[in-house]
Formats: sequence, structure tokens, C-alpha cells
Amino acid sequence: MSTVVDDDLWSAVGDPTRRRMLDLLLSDGSGTATSLSAQLPVTRQAVAKHLVVLDRVGLVHGSAAGREKQFRVDQAQLGRAVEQLANVGAAWDARLRRIKRIAETIQRQSTPPPPPRRGEKKGRK
Amino acid sequence: MENGTIERTIHVEASPAVVFDVVSNPEHVRAWWPDEAEFSSTPGAPGRIGFDQGDSGMAWEQFTVVDAVPHRLFSFRWTHAEGTVAAANNSFLVTFELEPEGEGTLLRLTETGFRERGWDDAKVAAEHASHVSGWDHFLPRLPVYAAGVGTRS
Repeated sequence: MSTVVDDDLWSAVGDPTRRRMLDLLLSDGSGTATSLSAQLPVTRQAVAKHLVVLDRVGLVHGSAAGREKQFRVDQAQLGRAVEQLANVGAAWDARLRRIKRIAETIQRQSTPPPPPRRGEKKGRK
Repeated sequence: MENGTIERTIHVEASPAVVFDVVSNPEHVRAWWPDEAEFSSTPGAPGRIGFDQGDSGMAWEQFTVVDAVPHRLFSFRWTHAEGTVAAANNSFLVTFELEPEGEGTLLRLTETGFRERGWDDAKVAAEHASHVSGWDHFLPRLPVYAAGVGTRS
């Protein structure tokens, strides 16, 4: 039941600029540091650094084509990153359901519910 | 999710005192989460929770209580490395907030820290507003990938 997000992977997709880059690469199919920086409010140099981070965790792959590397998104790896986050939420949903069941069982065992009465407020601890 | 935060609320038909005990007492915590739980409710005291891995034994995660206000609040950090002090940049922060609701309790859970680990969160705050569309773009694609992603959990 331990669902721990892969730190490096999440750090990589956690950065909004890098997420924008992934979005652009997904919609354009591929891109270079130059083409990405033209569409973002950051320098080509900053984009190149972000590409290194994304490449290191396997979210993008670069191939030499002409003067500049062409980058593409590794969709399986991106899916894995997104899946890890979805898993964290799903794991908590399951834990909360168990918390609810346990607490309500204890409550029922310790205090038998009073018969419901209309129009009367019961004082309770 | 946008801020690297998981948020959930659930209504429990039990008093805040009972719910607090269930979320904070290691005996109960074992029943809804790990296979082993060894921690004291003293803030800052090192503890750990264990997940049975079958033949590979127990996988331990470090666990430190941050705050415990009876019947109202219980928070802890987990997943920091053994021997280190739990802090914002090395662990996840889980917070349970309890409020009376009718005859029962409204239980609110948050887990944060996904983004703080390894990068500048001031930057998140500054850029968050203009770049929220990022997740929206590729999150819906998940089902397409899921089949090929394997069984890692």
C-alpha cells in the first residue's frame, strides 16, 4: 500500500516551465531548445537546462537532426509520472474509507444511538 | 494536485474524539494504513511505519509527528531518510483536521510536499497562476497510457 512518488520524476514534472515545455512538445510533436524558447517567456539557455532535467528522468529523448537536437516526449514515462500522482489520491481515498469504517464501528460500540425524537436537540459530549 | 497537494474531506459518523484516536493512535493507524506503526505522538520524536513486502521483509518509512491537538488536528511528516530530521524539503506532510459536523466529524486530509522536494517553491507561487493549464493538458491522456505503463504501484 506504500505509494511513494518517484522524487526525481515528480521534481521534473513539478516545475511549471517544464510542464509547459512538455505541453508544447506534446502538441507540436517535437521541438528544439530554440523553438521552445520562442514560445516561452524564458531564454533558450534556460530551456536547454530544463531539457537536460527532463532528459535525465527519461521524460524526453533528444535526437541529433541538423544543427540542434530535436526533442520528443516519452509518453510512457510521462504516463508513469501522472499515474503515480493519481495513485497517491486513490490510496488516500481507500485509507479514508477505512478510517471512516473503523471510527464508526467504535462509535456504535461505545454509544448505542438514542431513539430519534423530532424537534428535540440532544446534548452530546 | 496543482500545487502538488492532495486534498480530501469525508464525513464520519463518530465523534471527533473517536476519529482523532483512529487517525493518530498507532494501534488504529495499523488498521487503515501500514502493517507496522511505531511512533509516539510527541512532536518531533522519530518513528517509523512499515509495509510488509512478503519475502523481501518489511519496508520501513520514517514517520515524525508534527502536531497533535486532541480532537482537532493531527499532522505528520513521512518518507524522509532514516537519521535525518523531517523538514519541508525532504518529506511529505500529511495533515488531518477535524471539525464537529452534526453528530459526527468532518475529516479533512491534505498531503503536501510533492513539489517542494528538490526545487524552489517560491517559483511555484510566482508561476503557478499563469501555467496551471499544464496538468490539464496531459492529465486527461492518462487512460491512454495506463495500459502500457505496467503494474508498478
